[in-house]
Amino acid sequence: MSAEAAGGSPGGVGLRVGETVGRFELERAWLVDPVSGREGPGEIVVTDGVLESVTWLEGDVAGSVTERGVVVAPGFFDLHAHFREPGFEDAETIATGSAAAAHGGFTTVALMPNTSPAVDEPGVLERIRSAARASGSPVEVLAYGAVSAGRAGEQLAAMGELADAGVLGFSDDGAPVRTPKLLRSALIYAGMLGLPVIDHAEDSELTVGAEAHEGYVASVMGLAGWPVAAEVGAVSRDLAVLADALADEPRARLHLTHVSTAAALDLVRRAKAAGLPVTCDVTPHHLAIADEWIAGARRWAWEALGADGAPRDPWVDRALVAAPYNTSLRVNPPLRTAADAAACLAALLDGTADAVATDHAPHTVVDKDVEFGKAANGMSGIETALGVLLALADFGALPLARAIAALTVGPARVAGAAAGPAGSSAARPRGLVEGPLADLVVFDRSDRWLVTPESLLSRGKNSPLLGRELAGRVLLTIAGGRLAYEDPGLRDGAA
Amino acid sequence: MTTATSPSTSATATAWPHRHLIDVDVVTWPEIELIMRTAEEMKGILARPIRKVPALNGRRVTTLFYEASTRTRVSFETAARNLSADVVSISTATSSVTKGESLVDTVRTLEALGAEILVMRHGVSGAPYLAAEVFGGHVLNGGDGWHAHPTQALLDLYTMREHLPGGSLRGRKVAIVGDILHSRVARSNIWTLTAAGADLWLCGPATLLRGMDRWAAAWSGGAIPGHGRFNVTSDIEAALRDADVVMGLRIQRERMQGGLLPSLREYAARFQLNAERISLARPEAIVMHPGPMNEGVEISPDVAVSGRSVITDQVANGVAVRMALLYLLAGAHEAAPGEVVR
Repeated sequence: MSAEAAGGSPGGVGLRVGETVGRFELERAWLVDPVSGREGPGEIVVTDGVLESVTWLEGDVAGSVTERGVVVAPGFFDLHAHFREPGFEDAETIATGSAAAAHGGFTTVALMPNTSPAVDEPGVLERIRSAARASGSPVEVLAYGAVSAGRAGEQLAAMGELADAGVLGFSDDGAPVRTPKLLRSALIYAGMLGLPVIDHAEDSELTVGAEAHEGYVASVMGLAGWPVAAEVGAVSRDLAVLADALADEPRARLHLTHVSTAAALDLVRRAKAAGLPVTCDVTPHHLAIADEWIAGARRWAWEALGADGAPRDPWVDRALVAAPYNTSLRVNPPLRTAADAAACLAALLDGTADAVATDHAPHTVVDKDVEFGKAANGMSGIETALGVLLALADFGALPLARAIAALTVGPARVAGAAAGPAGSSAARPRGLVEGPLADLVVFDRSDRWLVTPESLLSRGKNSPLLGRELAGRVLLTIAGGRLAYEDPGLRDGAA
Repeated sequence: MTTATSPSTSATATAWPHRHLIDVDVVTWPEIELIMRTAEEMKGILARPIRKVPALNGRRVTTLFYEASTRTRVSFETAARNLSADVVSISTATSSVTKGESLVDTVRTLEALGAEILVMRHGVSGAPYLAAEVFGGHVLNGGDGWHAHPTQALLDLYTMREHLPGGSLRGRKVAIVGDILHSRVARSNIWTLTAAGADLWLCGPATLLRGMDRWAAAWSGGAIPGHGRFNVTSDIEAALRDADVVMGLRIQRERMQGGLLPSLREYAARFQLNAERISLARPEAIVMHPGPMNEGVEISPDVAVSGRSVITDQVANGVAVRMALLYLLAGAHEAAPGEVVR
């Protein structure tokens, strides 16, 4: 880690993951508290797991501390992750996923129910909880229940029992809620239970065989197009059904996850303006990576945007530097254009998007080291989310505090106070305030780290960012007062 | 080596820089000229009583075809044998691919068995790049998905140059008619023909042209260095009028099931290359087709065998062009650590 005078140089805590942090002091760092909206130089002390003191520094003592050095923020909350257990443990387990989450600065994760078996009854949820306990990681593992039994899109899952068991909401993620009729029932029933339905908005009829965003890149590359209309049509359906369901159940709530197109975000923007109870998230990859990466480009989406707001041509720019058809880039929804990425950012800035969620989707090499058109959809992203958002911040397009808010208070608001088991971190204040168990991340914005298969703790090495340096090395993650992650350099320094 | 047994050294005066040939998008015009010159020499060899030279003697060429093919596969194997290479032929229908072996494992196995040049056809766009990532030798793309069919585009170019007065495509109107959307032949021809300076027109039913207008618009200002603009239209008469070259593409029955076309009959009525439509082209225009043809659908039988048709020339030239590419690739550099496959 860097020992810049600009930030305090934290010593290690010398603990194993899961142990209560007895004493941790950080002097002269940049604190970001998204609850109060305050950020600035400060110091923190954690004693016996409790955030004992938060001191904001003023004047000369604050002097050289900037937001470019060591930063302290509340632990991040990922609204959308796949830890693959039970059923696909060769891709990820609760234990490896939790370790990866903590490495990414996340202290709370909400897992999608597309496991095998699916989380469609409380027994499966209990398996996940017991795996989380057994992992020893203090990362809070929350889960969604399936909307439909077996995610088959036919009958409702055991929603009431799942709600009693503490799910955060309901989703058939990986696929959309299959029919509008089922979605209406799910919204009404979940509304009765005080929980949201999280939809993966995709018109599957339009995406049969689809390989890449339908556009210039797919045309040149000979890839079957994944049309914008598949997302816009589905979002439109969902919003219409939501409006309908509200007449029967005013507590119905819809969350649209990984919205990826400018047109769909516009629909959400208008629905919110009209007062519909809808929220949405965008992913780091849709903010930062455009479809031109499939052709071999490796510039950020904001570097691929022309002055006219239209995507630049990577062939004209001679921007194709990597081998084409990298299967890490095959993801659902697909990587869109640089203009769509800009729309995702605009949505984040104007509040249309409530949160950034990773859609962390680890896969094995068996599922990814194959032809592009046969590769599984998804990328491993929970460890690179912060670095990607910091790249946007470094570019000057996203204030640091907004990036942090999108990873903390944003998702907490989506999850809602009613969600999660009593005492879960979803209901916990997510600010930097004295008193509660410490739930925070310390990262050094000036310290870059290289994304490699070895540096990723996830079993999923399917990241298109392999070989790239990202800003913001995570030094320490404390969840619920216990050590979740400590940078090896920091740990060795403490020894 | 003497000229009696090998192509002359003039063919290699310009070094061939590409380890693989997967797509023509990375091939420069001087490199295309080199391929054309080398193919010309190969054609000289094919005119001899004994069509065999020892240029690739002892080199091992493996053909790995994941899709059915007659002419492309036989063309490659004939080309390799004409150069005295040892040829191993793998058809996935009779290989362990049917037992679920992955492409990566198959390629590693073939390399372990001695393959040096891998000629590959695959139904998924981009598959040869995956093969090239794990293969220590040279990959020669025999067609991947909708993406690219570089040897077809190069033999098409060779055949056009052979028949056009002056041997140049510059300013010549070339109309490609048919299912452009799903065609790797069309995509590769876009790269080579716009590099050759041709006035290229792509024509077909609008459902089979989707996305191509976007591509044409992106290139409309001559934006890509070394490549001209091209036209996309559903107006068959505009496409054929005064054309120097007319190329038909195969229309597949699956397109009807996919809801992209009402019927083959309707396609033929509106787009078939028949004598009446061909009369819109220049009197000396040539007619081409990459095969296999659906006579009576995209092309009428009389046009297919007319004096204008150079379809059998395409097949013969295919052997010469593939000999040239095998020869050039065999002399290309070996794998370098960290090399990006493009």
